[in-house]
Amino acid sequence: MSRPTPATVRWLLLGLLIILWEVVPLTGVLPELFLPALSKTLAVLYSDREIYFAALLVTLYEVACSMLIACGLGILVGALVGGTALLRNLLLPVFSSLYAVPIVILYPIFTAWFGVGSSSKIAFAGVYGFFPVMLSTAAGIRTIDPQFLLAARSMGANLVQQITRVIIPASVPTVFAGLRLGGALTIIGVVVSEMLTASAGIGYLVTLNRTILDSPRVFAGILAILVLSIAYYMLARALETRMVVWQSAGRQQRSASGVGTAGMPAPAAA
Amino acid sequence: MQHLANVTELRARVDEPAIKVDGLSHVYAGADGGVAALLDITLAVGKGRFVVIVGPSGCGKTSLLMMLAGLRQPSQGTISCLGRPIPKPDPQRVGVIFQEASLFPWLSTLDNIEFPLSLRGVARAERRRRSEAMLRLVGLEGFGERYPHELSGGMKQRVSIARGLVQDPPLLLMDEPFAALDEQTRMTMGHELLRIWSTTQKTVVFITHSLTEAVYLADEVLVMSARPGRIIDHIQVTLPRPRSYEMMATEAFGQLRERIWQQIRKAA
Repeated sequence: MSRPTPATVRWLLLGLLIILWEVVPLTGVLPELFLPALSKTLAVLYSDREIYFAALLVTLYEVACSMLIACGLGILVGALVGGTALLRNLLLPVFSSLYAVPIVILYPIFTAWFGVGSSSKIAFAGVYGFFPVMLSTAAGIRTIDPQFLLAARSMGANLVQQITRVIIPASVPTVFAGLRLGGALTIIGVVVSEMLTASAGIGYLVTLNRTILDSPRVFAGILAILVLSIAYYMLARALETRMVVWQSAGRQQRSASGVGTAGMPAPAAA
Repeated sequence: MQHLANVTELRARVDEPAIKVDGLSHVYAGADGGVAALLDITLAVGKGRFVVIVGPSGCGKTSLLMMLAGLRQPSQGTISCLGRPIPKPDPQRVGVIFQEASLFPWLSTLDNIEFPLSLRGVARAERRRRSEAMLRLVGLEGFGERYPHELSGGMKQRVSIARGLVQDPPLLLMDEPFAALDEQTRMTMGHELLRIWSTTQKTVVFITHSLTEAVYLADEVLVMSARPGRIIDHIQVTLPRPRSYEMMATEAFGQLRERIWQQIRKAA
């Protein structure tokens, strides 16, 4: 018998987790309040499908808008800060230290400014996701091999060509890594802010049902966000692989054996 | 055989230099008044010659090359490449090939070779035709769609050479192009370069640390002193061409190598 591949092991673990989710509550070891069975969670999700679908649409809308803000502003500011020495020296230390601040503490201010509706979630999650995008864009531009620019100049590239033909493609991998992380943070930002103060969205449903101790409906919300995050992660990975053919190919060669553990999502460090 | 005749003919009219450097000095600006990098360099490189510059680390060889390429301007003195000064890079006149791979990892081999042409807006079909011809010249047919990370060090350097030659510049500047390669690949690449040189009839200025490489490749060797860099010796390598690996074992080869080594030792 040959050893199973890491991918097989991962699928087996996932299957085991699903089975445990179903079996453990049935044995009565855990009360339903702590962990309702998977079948019960799915049944609730089905019977309340209209409510959950409407909430998911709200959450998706907020995530999409805040991703747009985080990525757009992040790339713009990151390019300016990374590309100009003056801004870099002035702003980079400020931004880097701001990154360490738990921005969620500012959320009450966002609700005061933008109300309890979607705008405050979009603004908050946008700011939340902005930092990694901006910092990695700045880093990507700053760490370009000067040899590339020298070679381009020797081949007659003018300033515009140096930017479009060298600086932008050379910084794509780092920028993408920031986008993947920033995007994950906006999902977290939206859900957290919905859980704190909101009148709609999946996060709001989770909080609402928790206060009335309706455990299956809490888990239904959790399941929805879980699926959303994993879908996002897989989409981001697929996009990255397509955009950065040369880099991902190199990475695969280097770590052909270690893909199993390194490939799993780890955006939970909120 | 025809190209050999051409080469001989070319050797005959070396009177008009391809590169003329007159009284060139360079000082790098610094907080404490600056560092003198190059001091009163005067040299001439004849058309079609293969000139190698050697010298201790930090003697300003690369600075000199940057100035010949128009990438940097000297504090003092004049440079003329093919009869004209070079105030900014002019890739159709002077091609530069850098140390290790300055190939763009996001471009395929052919796209890398075509890069200088696409900067000038040469039509796609014409670009392809010329880059494929260059690929054949450096012996990499079939590797056009590969990316740099899929190539070995020697292959990458071949692509760099192809990229430097694609605009067909009469002057080729090479800054330690084989320094990152292992000894065997390095010798093969040197041999290959001589083959390409003899078919393309370029004027080459080549910087290296390797004395064996210098003697093996060169028509003339210029020895530079430690900083501030001056030219302290100008050695004619009269070994016959085409060069072969066996020549390295000859007494003439050893004597030339020894003479350069003595000069560098004194200079450092």
